[in-house]
Amino acid sequence: MSAVAGRLRAVPHAQKLLATAAILVAVLVPFYFGKGSPQIDDATLAMAYIGMALGLNLIVGFAGLLDLGYVAFFAIGAFTMGWLGSGFFSQAGGEGVHVLVSEPASNLPGIHMNFLVVIVFAIIFTTIAGMLIGLPTLRLRGDYIAIVTLAFGEIIGRVAINGDELRIGGIWDATIAKLPFFEPIGSAATLTGGRRGITPVDKVDLPFVERFVALDLRPWYFLALAIVLIALFVNFRLRDSRLGRAWIALREDEVAAASMGVPLVKTKLLAYGTGAAFGGASGAFLASYLNTVNADQFQFSFSIFILGMVILGGLGSIWGVVVGAIALSLLNNYFIPDVFNTWPEKVGLDFDLSQLSFGIFGFLLVIMMVLRPEGLIPERRRQLELEEGIGAGATAGAGPTLEGGTGKHGEDVYETRRD
Amino acid sequence: MEAATTTAAKPAAPAPVAVARDFLAKYGLIIFLLAMPIAFGIRDLSAEGDLSRLGNNLVDGVSNGAIWALVALGYTLVYGIIELINFAHGDVFMLGSFVSVGLWGTFALTVATGALGLVVGLVVTLFVAMIATGALNVMIERVAYRPLRNAPKLAPLITAVGFSFILQNVGLLWLGGSPEGVTDLIESQDRFFEVGGVVITNGDALAFTATIPLVLGLTTFIARSRIGKAMRATAQDPEAARLMGINVDTTISFTFLLGGLMAGAAGLIYALYQTTVWYFQGFQAGLIAFTAAVMGGIGNLRGAVLGGLIIGCIQQMSDNRIGGQWTNAVVFGYLVIIMVFRPQGLLGEETREAG
Amino acid sequence: MAVLSCLFAALALGVAACGDDDDDEGGQGGDGGGSVTVYSSLPLQGASRPQTTAMVQGIELALQQANNQAGDVTVNYESLDDSTAQAGTWTPEATSANARRAAQDESAVAYIGEFNSGASAVSIPILNEAGLAQVSPANTAVGLTTDEPGADEGEPDKYYPTGERHYARIVPKDTIQGAALATVMKEDGCTSIGILHDKEVYGAGLARNIAGSAEEQDLEVAVNTGIDPKAANFRSVAADLRSGGVDCFVFSGITANGAVQLYKDVEAALPDAQLYGPDGVAESGFADPEEGGIPADVAEKVKVSVATLSPDEYPPEGQEFFSTFEEEYGEPNPDPYAIYGYEAMTLVLDVLERAEDPTDRASVIEALFSTQGRESVLGTYDIDENGDTTLTDYGIYTIADGELVFDQTIQAAG
Repeated sequence: MSAVAGRLRAVPHAQKLLATAAILVAVLVPFYFGKGSPQIDDATLAMAYIGMALGLNLIVGFAGLLDLGYVAFFAIGAFTMGWLGSGFFSQAGGEGVHVLVSEPASNLPGIHMNFLVVIVFAIIFTTIAGMLIGLPTLRLRGDYIAIVTLAFGEIIGRVAINGDELRIGGIWDATIAKLPFFEPIGSAATLTGGRRGITPVDKVDLPFVERFVALDLRPWYFLALAIVLIALFVNFRLRDSRLGRAWIALREDEVAAASMGVPLVKTKLLAYGTGAAFGGASGAFLASYLNTVNADQFQFSFSIFILGMVILGGLGSIWGVVVGAIALSLLNNYFIPDVFNTWPEKVGLDFDLSQLSFGIFGFLLVIMMVLRPEGLIPERRRQLELEEGIGAGATAGAGPTLEGGTGKHGEDVYETRRD
Repeated sequence: MEAATTTAAKPAAPAPVAVARDFLAKYGLIIFLLAMPIAFGIRDLSAEGDLSRLGNNLVDGVSNGAIWALVALGYTLVYGIIELINFAHGDVFMLGSFVSVGLWGTFALTVATGALGLVVGLVVTLFVAMIATGALNVMIERVAYRPLRNAPKLAPLITAVGFSFILQNVGLLWLGGSPEGVTDLIESQDRFFEVGGVVITNGDALAFTATIPLVLGLTTFIARSRIGKAMRATAQDPEAARLMGINVDTTISFTFLLGGLMAGAAGLIYALYQTTVWYFQGFQAGLIAFTAAVMGGIGNLRGAVLGGLIIGCIQQMSDNRIGGQWTNAVVFGYLVIIMVFRPQGLLGEETREAG
Repeated sequence: MAVLSCLFAALALGVAACGDDDDDEGGQGGDGGGSVTVYSSLPLQGASRPQTTAMVQGIELALQQANNQAGDVTVNYESLDDSTAQAGTWTPEATSANARRAAQDESAVAYIGEFNSGASAVSIPILNEAGLAQVSPANTAVGLTTDEPGADEGEPDKYYPTGERHYARIVPKDTIQGAALATVMKEDGCTSIGILHDKEVYGAGLARNIAGSAEEQDLEVAVNTGIDPKAANFRSVAADLRSGGVDCFVFSGITANGAVQLYKDVEAALPDAQLYGPDGVAESGFADPEEGGIPADVAEKVKVSVATLSPDEYPPEGQEFFSTFEEEYGEPNPDPYAIYGYEAMTLVLDVLERAEDPTDRASVIEALFSTQGRESVLGTYDIDENGDTTLTDYGIYTIADGELVFDQTIQAAG
């Protein structure tokens, strides 16, 4: 695999060709399957997950900040769609608040905004949330960052589940509703639908195209593909920009980066914010696509699911993450339940493979980290970092070594000891 | 980055602001932790005229906390020596519970078993469970952490998460997805004795009496024994320890063994105390115990115990006053606040890297 | 990568699909009858696995009894899973995928599901657009079919985009069960009740209905709040009930959401209280200590409401069901969920037999909604225009030796 990748790099246009081919295949996929077939369904979900994985890759892969609570941004994005695109605030504005929506949403009570408006809000909300969650982690080291983000993920999950007890209607009516353009949303309105969920959610309703329906998945797929392509474009531009270089410098050596004049606070917060925004956009899409915002979706295992995609593909490698996301989401939605599920029975074991999917994920994480930490399609710079790190103390049983002269401060990246 | 404010080595400026800051740095966390019980105590006194409700909360909290303390010890031991959050530790504890429950079945222990038989059976179970989880923990270190000792920090953390999932799946296949009620061998919820309206149940008594010797034994062992010295040396400076002829790998394995032993004991006590086990208990317990370890000061054994007891009390008070559905959010809120404002915790073990 | 290579192969060979899995199983249709497919979608993994396994067993038995025939059509059955192990519960992704899969299948005429009311809220709109008859064996949330008390704003119409109804259920809605529980508590002399619920569509909705009915019958509702199903224990939650002065306790939720631990802790905190439970806990995983249920000393204080009759009132097929079930699975006393699954499938077969054209979805829906005076294991019922069953009787069961034992029939007041 890596040999192939190496050879590909040697050929200047090969990567571009491959990328074009991949996009072409992606565009053609839906025409090979029925318009509501499970294959397109799986592919659409895979696209949404790619968006999230690309976002997480910005945080973990580029900036080296291990985030174990990425599900928080999925939740906030999904809730934005639930708040602004469903009958959830049924008292709002009396007859409902409608922004650029057509039939039948325009006749329903509640707040109904066009998907394009909602996605902008989702991006704004998650960016703010990402920065807020990033703030407390600024002074912390790698593993502490992981735990704080995990804690935030869990807190957001709890708020999603118990938000049906938080009456925000009264607060809203007393404050924001007094401003012009804002209507009261009813004093009984709560923050979330709790475990009962917010169902149904408005279907995407884009200008110049037919309204999306549940049984024809092609438009959904193309919309998801468009989101992914935009995300890819932004990712590549960011990676090659000044900011992207600052992130990578941060990942490699925070102290050196700081002394070279990289503004740490700003750079870290931007990583969290942009990374979160992708989660928000995908979250809003998923809420509309799945027609529900259900608080039980926002579990820690989802964060790991997305992290697994990034690990599998290769931390920091954009194409790697795309491949990792496709592989894991197909594994979860297609191979485990549909293809391999009966294998244990065939060899006489009394369980379904789908009961093992947890363990399979865990196993993948361990195997990847031990045998191929750079991922399936490694990023060159990352590979060099790893080789440098491993090579320094590769002799078995040597224990931790001092890396003389590298100037590493053992801060985030390397397990080195200096006193 | 600049580490968290160090309390030592700071010339005390006479300015009142600096004095206040020093005071807050030293005692702010303690004041913050005492705020909840004191507020509830005052409310109880004014409403009901006695403190029995708060007392019951605290007793339940301390007995639950004793179990968390045993789990927290494993986090603290491992973190102290290789600065790794052993994410799979909670699931090792879960499997300790499962092994214990399986052994009761094997020994045919029931409520009807005589006192002597019960004590013997439980002691044997305790040893087997401890050895099983200890061995499991050593195995995890060998497979998942040792090969990555020089890799970037993120790598072992990710394998730890991976192992946590694998162990959860083992539990899922073993006892299924539902919480399983198990035989209530010690009549856990029966009254042991009562002091002024505060009930102490058999389960509470067991949690105190089993935890205290374990913790004392562990601290004495680390303070006195040769291998304990080696552990402390490795924790301080692995490189120097290696040069002094200490086998660092063995020492680290041993640390994992000790953490696993404590987790196994906690697993048995949990099964006896709660009388329900399920595959997800480890994830919850792990996060709670980790919070406890951070609160006490990670790397500090006494801190882990103290943190466990405090977290137990916070949980029970939250269950009783705020509502059980919010308890986890409250605990994690505490975790974030401590991590941000006082990462070195209550008893502040200055870790090598960032205090 | 396998996917990509598969795609390339597809491109090269012009194959229509990768890993296509709609192979028709089962025998060829009878004479001129053709064959139809019935799907079921239930969470087969995670915590509700025991109940749903029982349900699938019930469904398969019903089909076996009918020799896979309804009238002159052959009925194939496919069991789908709306949960993932990773989530341990139903997921919107899996649920909508199942609904779409059934909608896609030309031969599909009926869909049994979902198990969770929240999941039905996801699959109903999809199947509504597809015009496919749906029968739920377990949903009790009021808002899925009517706007009676307990429903949220906009329910039920928001689930039926076409305005036509296609969804029916065989268990009475929460309004009935809530009233039944309140009635039995009143009869047992309760004065102040404590309700804890698991916050799910089923649990929270039923809690609302129990509280409403209890107040109508002059019972004081001292506590009515949600719990965290994953908590290690509920000792302090139970202590809160004690300080509320509760003398009767009911948990509104399913076994998987911590019910066993909760009943133990409540019994310890309130040794004199009566304990009640809904059909969500009516299963051996709750009742039988051998299977990880509550111990006998707690169980003797518990009464459970189930929408099934006294076993001696069953119609002949029902009696037969029990003997067959015992032969097949060695369990003389199946979970109520097995009975619900059995009845859901039996109703579907009955509908197919009555339908003008059993291979046509619209006429199957028509036949479903014209169900009148159906004699079943659950009692004699009609399906009304909302898709609700007209049953109003609830069986109250006690627990002895880990088994649910029929105690009495409650005519719900209301």
